[in-house]
Amino acid sequence: MYDVIGIWAGAFFTLAIYSFLYKENPIYRLAEHLVVGISLGYGIAVTYSNVLKPRLIDPVNSGGHWILVIPGLMGFLYITRFFPRISWLSRYPIALLMGTSMGVAFPLTMKAAVLRQLESAIIPLYREGMSWDVVLGSVIMLLGTLAALIYFFFSKPHKGPFFGFGSRIGIWVIMLGFGATFGFTVMGRISLLIGRVQFLLSDWLHLIK
Amino acid sequence: MSAVSIWERMLNIDRRWIFLGIGIVSVVPFFLRFGLPVVTTDEVESIYNYVDSLGSEDAIFVSFDFAPGTQAENMPMAVAVIRHAFHNHVPVFMTASFPIHQTMMISAIDYVLNPQTEGFYQNVPFGEWERIREKGITDRDEIVAAWEAEGNELPDGALGWAFEGRDYALLGFAPVFNLVILGMTNSIETQYPQDINGNPTGEMPMLHEHKSLREVDMVLTCSGSGVCVWWVTFAREKIGLPVAFGVTAVMATDYYPYIQTGQVLGQMGGLRGAAEYEVMLEENGITPSTDKAFTGMDVQSAAHILIILFIIIGNIAYFAGGFHKKRLLKGGR
Repeated sequence: MYDVIGIWAGAFFTLAIYSFLYKENPIYRLAEHLVVGISLGYGIAVTYSNVLKPRLIDPVNSGGHWILVIPGLMGFLYITRFFPRISWLSRYPIALLMGTSMGVAFPLTMKAAVLRQLESAIIPLYREGMSWDVVLGSVIMLLGTLAALIYFFFSKPHKGPFFGFGSRIGIWVIMLGFGATFGFTVMGRISLLIGRVQFLLSDWLHLIK
Repeated sequence: MSAVSIWERMLNIDRRWIFLGIGIVSVVPFFLRFGLPVVTTDEVESIYNYVDSLGSEDAIFVSFDFAPGTQAENMPMAVAVIRHAFHNHVPVFMTASFPIHQTMMISAIDYVLNPQTEGFYQNVPFGEWERIREKGITDRDEIVAAWEAEGNELPDGALGWAFEGRDYALLGFAPVFNLVILGMTNSIETQYPQDINGNPTGEMPMLHEHKSLREVDMVLTCSGSGVCVWWVTFAREKIGLPVAFGVTAVMATDYYPYIQTGQVLGQMGGLRGAAEYEVMLEENGITPSTDKAFTGMDVQSAAHILIILFIIIGNIAYFAGGFHKKRLLKGGR
């Protein structure tokens, strides 16, 4: 019974959202607002049942793990944001979280997102036994990287054989990247539509398997 | 009517006609079923081959890092890898990086365990096989033998048993997920003392054998946001955990560099990536048929053809109407 209600509600709100394609209307706005409201409500419920209850309330109530009250109170200070006179207290948990996250993330992020990428960009153009297509790919990658970097070098005018030609090649390389991203974006958006159409035709209308 | 006005009208066409066209080609192929072939790529094959090389002594994580907005793309990836792991009896830990992502995790496991799904796995909830655990039986084959010796029979159409706590664990959402990943490199149980059903993870055989991410063999992050990089940053770089990406098509180009650097062992990009995995599962007899992603690829192809036609027609109208000479975009604007 609940499944059927869920499917009909899903179908109604899917059509409500897509009604925007014709023009904006109250049904669309209702669906939009419900998405925001339900997501928030669901988030609170999951956070309570997954986090607050098993990790704070239950251990304190049943096991006497009073030490947990300290981080609990620290988290509770977030709520002081709603009271202007004591809202400054919310800076403490924010500072703790920001500081910890930054400290933990910085060295690992540098390694994962910067150093590893640099390392892989510095590759031999030719080694014995390399096939010609691999060599060609490496050369194109090297020239493409340099050209794109030249395009973003703004301290010199983009004129002359090096900066002028290099930046023109750079913009082509960047455009190729944008083209690939745009192609994937179109594919992604169509995929999302496919998902909804599958739901409507299969789960709701039972027209396809 | 002059020729120019026709081009103008073409360039100023009400976009709702375009939406209608896309809507029609998104529905019709579901009924006609062209069955266009899906060719597999190296990025997806490497994930498939890696999971295929694992056995019951190994374990993987499937991280649900996407919201309902991208479930059409991300869900089939997660489902395909879970079914592959279940086939090979590889235990699967499932996590969610945000509260809303937990609904996706529940939907995925419900789909795999639903008797109405073709090629489903018969669920055995954690509490139902407590007697077997109390006897100290932890080996999967022995668990199955003991379970069937109690008179339980595999239903028709089921591909196998799925023991909660031995074959899968629904760890779910935990806040500040990047730090949770980091914490799991030391201990999974301290980050998740219980699963989403309230079962103590410390009593689960799969956690006895795989206490931390260091004892896990791979994580697949099905992601609709930048969360997938957290796994690379906090697990791959810290302890060398192999990471596979299942990302939306929009994100796919951003993460190709991670494949080149070797930080990611493979990547499923959008519905297409999931369809490739489904094809390999079917070809190797792991699932009886392909699933939703493959079915959607016919529609994808039809929609792409229509969009290409629109682009060609638009360009013809633009150049034939002489708008390129006037340096105007369209319709005199």
